[in-house]
Amino acid sequence: MVKRNLGLICLLTLAAFLMTAPVSAQQVRGVTDTEILIGQTGPQTGPAAAWGAVARGSGLFFKGINDEGGIHGRKIKYFLRDDGYQPAKTKAIGTEFVEQIGIFGVVGCVGVGPGMSVRDYYTENKVLMVSFGCSGVTNWIQPFNRYIFPVYQLYVDEAKALTRYFYENMKLTKVAVFYQNDDYGKQGLEGVERYEKEKGLKVVAAVSAEVTDRDLSSHALKLKNSGAEAVVLWAMPTHGALLLAECAKIGYKPQWGTSSTLSDGPLMMQITKGLWAGMINSFPIEPPDSNNPLMVKYRAWHQKYEPNERWGTFYYSGCLYAEPLAEGLRRAGRNLTPETFIKAMETIRDWRGAIGAPITFTPTDHQGTRDTRFAQVQPDGSMKILTDWIRITK
Amino acid sequence: MDIKRSYYEDIELFKSNTILVWSILFLVFLGILPWLVKAYHLLGMSIYILNLITINALVAIGLNILVGYTGQISMGHAGFFAIGAFTSVILVLNWNFPLWIALPVAGFISSAFGFILGLPALRLKGPYLAIATLGFGMSITTIIKHMEFFGGRMGLQAPKLYLFGTPMKDFHYYYVIMTIAVLMVIGAVKLIKTRVGRAFIAIRDSDIAAEAMGVNLTYYKTLAFAVSAFYTGIGGGLYAFILGFINPESFHIIMSIAFLAMVVVGGLGSIMGSIAGAALLTYLDIKLQVVQDIPAIGPALVAFSQKYMSMAGISNIAVIVYGLIMILIVLFEPLGIFGFWIRTKRYWKTWPF
Amino acid sequence: MLGQLIVSGLAVGACYSLLALAMVIIYKTSDVLNFAQGEMAMISTYVAFTLMESYHVPFQWAVIFTFLFAILLGAFFELVFLRQAKDPTVLGLIIITLGFEMILMGFAGWKWGPDQRSLAFPVSNIETYNFFGLVMSKINFWTIVISLVLMFILFLFFRYTKVGIAMRATQQNQLAARVMGIRTKWILSFTWAISSMVGAVAGMLIAALGVLDPPMMMDPLMKSFASAVLGGMTSLPGTAVGGAMLGIIENLFGGYVSLSFKSVVAFAIIVLMLCIKPSGLLAKHYVKKV
Repeated sequence: MVKRNLGLICLLTLAAFLMTAPVSAQQVRGVTDTEILIGQTGPQTGPAAAWGAVARGSGLFFKGINDEGGIHGRKIKYFLRDDGYQPAKTKAIGTEFVEQIGIFGVVGCVGVGPGMSVRDYYTENKVLMVSFGCSGVTNWIQPFNRYIFPVYQLYVDEAKALTRYFYENMKLTKVAVFYQNDDYGKQGLEGVERYEKEKGLKVVAAVSAEVTDRDLSSHALKLKNSGAEAVVLWAMPTHGALLLAECAKIGYKPQWGTSSTLSDGPLMMQITKGLWAGMINSFPIEPPDSNNPLMVKYRAWHQKYEPNERWGTFYYSGCLYAEPLAEGLRRAGRNLTPETFIKAMETIRDWRGAIGAPITFTPTDHQGTRDTRFAQVQPDGSMKILTDWIRITK
Repeated sequence: MDIKRSYYEDIELFKSNTILVWSILFLVFLGILPWLVKAYHLLGMSIYILNLITINALVAIGLNILVGYTGQISMGHAGFFAIGAFTSVILVLNWNFPLWIALPVAGFISSAFGFILGLPALRLKGPYLAIATLGFGMSITTIIKHMEFFGGRMGLQAPKLYLFGTPMKDFHYYYVIMTIAVLMVIGAVKLIKTRVGRAFIAIRDSDIAAEAMGVNLTYYKTLAFAVSAFYTGIGGGLYAFILGFINPESFHIIMSIAFLAMVVVGGLGSIMGSIAGAALLTYLDIKLQVVQDIPAIGPALVAFSQKYMSMAGISNIAVIVYGLIMILIVLFEPLGIFGFWIRTKRYWKTWPF
Repeated sequence: MLGQLIVSGLAVGACYSLLALAMVIIYKTSDVLNFAQGEMAMISTYVAFTLMESYHVPFQWAVIFTFLFAILLGAFFELVFLRQAKDPTVLGLIIITLGFEMILMGFAGWKWGPDQRSLAFPVSNIETYNFFGLVMSKINFWTIVISLVLMFILFLFFRYTKVGIAMRATQQNQLAARVMGIRTKWILSFTWAISSMVGAVAGMLIAALGVLDPPMMMDPLMKSFASAVLGGMTSLPGTAVGGAMLGIIENLFGGYVSLSFKSVVAFAIIVLMLCIKPSGLLAKHYVKKV
């Protein structure tokens, strides 16, 4: 009698489970008749919190797009999450995005470590990743991944082009490198070394520092003693400020050059108390006060929606990262699936609709930007563009 | 029912039949948990988060053996975690060890380092020990970062594992991790009940008295470190595989502090407490995010932020809450979550007195 | 180069020793390792920054108000958090300070945002004094001076004033001190207040030398732990010695051996020192009797 009841209970429980198991949806995940779901993770707290502005900038962009009516009748529903730059959290949020919220794609997501932990998971689940990682490391294009569309210049090529600029345009042959001891910094060093090797030269000094180091006096001394005429700086804004102060102290004034990561001219001028003037940046984005019609439009959105946020380079670069996504959605048309989106993105050739370098995606190469240009910081903090778009990645 | 009549009764794993039945039901529950989570989105979790909680629980138990039962402080457990993670990945990646060999080997290598750390720790107590272990944890990270063998700063990509031919997904990992965890929890509980466990507790209560009673301090203190490191190392190995990519940067002091918090919040000297503490803090860490969506006080916080604070930093409220929880638990319930449990049990048992 | 490395080492060591001073004060009185020291200093510095930037308060007044704030912050922490703990263990106290650290860090990130700022300081970091070809920036010079002066004042305070002796008594045996008529609760609050104030000085100087952002004190905190351990956790002159030695050793290591491993030196020193002479260079080793 007990056995029979037990058997009945088990059967009922099994039936209950089967009935409540989710029916597989026919529609595309993350796309409804009226909405497209897009997510982004970013370090809103913790030591890397300065890059949290990127995710907020993308949010501003989507607000503006929705205000203009959305794309093909669909508005973008945006989910911003904080991963504190911890890969474990990024993956947890990734599972939330896919399994609970059900997003169509992600945009941005600053960080190589966090990005790498979640890249394979997103690929398995066919999540589109546009401007993934917001960093120019080679992890996003090697091995080739159909779902990733990075739009950040490769650091290696950026550094190489910068060294070439020093050599050919400014006739500076003795180049030293100060780099942060991580993949970002090391790829900068590699770029400089590649160029030097082509010319048969050697880097005069290669000085590295840890991210948390706050005392750079011995680093400055080493640079000075090497006698370098130009120093390529591939580190974080804090280090940039500290190093310049230390070098000024010991009376060392080389020509400085740095990557697009430190392109927030006004901020750097402020925290270096003016020493930043004369720095040559790789500058693949519009200056903050530019008259580019897109920038004017974004600034208007900024005033309307988030006037309290500082109009810094990291912030409006969030708009830059979201632009290719919007363009891809437009080109894919009303029938939106991951496949149609990928095909649409791969039709983008030399597209100048972004506030940065021209963007090109081909079916075999998803590295979006292959150009950069150089700008110099003026004594009043503004950026003077020195060159036009230079092709740096073949 | 609580009176033990012989030594063997005292060290029995399941004190009574009731506990045995509940334990079996709990195991069954754990077995079907992945289905529940997937179908009902239980508490907004995913199987990955369950895996993460289990791994953190494993580490918390290891740390509790050291901190709660033996009374030594360690703020460097992220170092052992990292050693376990990197070792197991390298063993599988470079030398094709199967996972079930790589994990214990990683655990043993980690416990070797634990032993090494335990030796100088013999002379140190309290705050000094905390600082020494802190230094150890940070040095390990820096050393790993600089050795190209470990992938340098870039980190290592954990290889895809295969279970009987199919690539392992979160789902499969869950059962592997849960099996390992259950076995190790039983091991920990048993350990505490044996001579070794009693020696640990004696050392915590008064090590000089313990030595006078014949407990070999050197042996047991280093053993505590080694066992603790073993658990943490295995946790690290599993962590590397569910994450898929490890880089040395992520094993920083905040992680060590998080482990310590899990142990203290859960309850020092209680295995169940560590599991509860790990579950609670991991869950909060991941979920305490979108401040705007909290019902009732969410919009108020946003408005407050806009007027007096910066909107840019609003996610920091999660950090503040996390710190506040740590402080409040220590202040008001030093025995942690386990203390709550004991109090509730006692309340019900002695009702209506 | 050797001379310059040593001089820079002294300069940076002075910053570490100031922060270490704050920690040693607390350890001398209440046996608590204050992990929140860095963040307390950071919040006080942010207060100074806000006063000068948003309210245009002149520097001297800003400093005075910051000190007042720091004193209140230290006393607040002691009163509200530490005193409530009933018979806390060492670990419990550490967790409380760690929790407070997280609260402060979250609060700073919330209130001021994560961007880097620059603290306006009357003494410049760029202009230098020149001694026989070795340069030291003006701020560095004044940091060394201030740290030595503060250390000296506090040393005299602890040794010769009534309050100072009361503080030492409280550390050795709180119950006996209360029996002797010392108001231990007031002493503890006072200790935390002073420590917080010294921390604020350290914070402002470190911010003046670099940038002001929420995680700015994380690295100096670790280094100042190393200095305190090196010099002796209960010895005030030890902080100056420890800080200077740490700065010089770090710089020499970085200059001659390897710049990449420079950060490990601090921790290696901690571990070595704790193995060889746990009480530090200048402190007496108290053996606790059973």
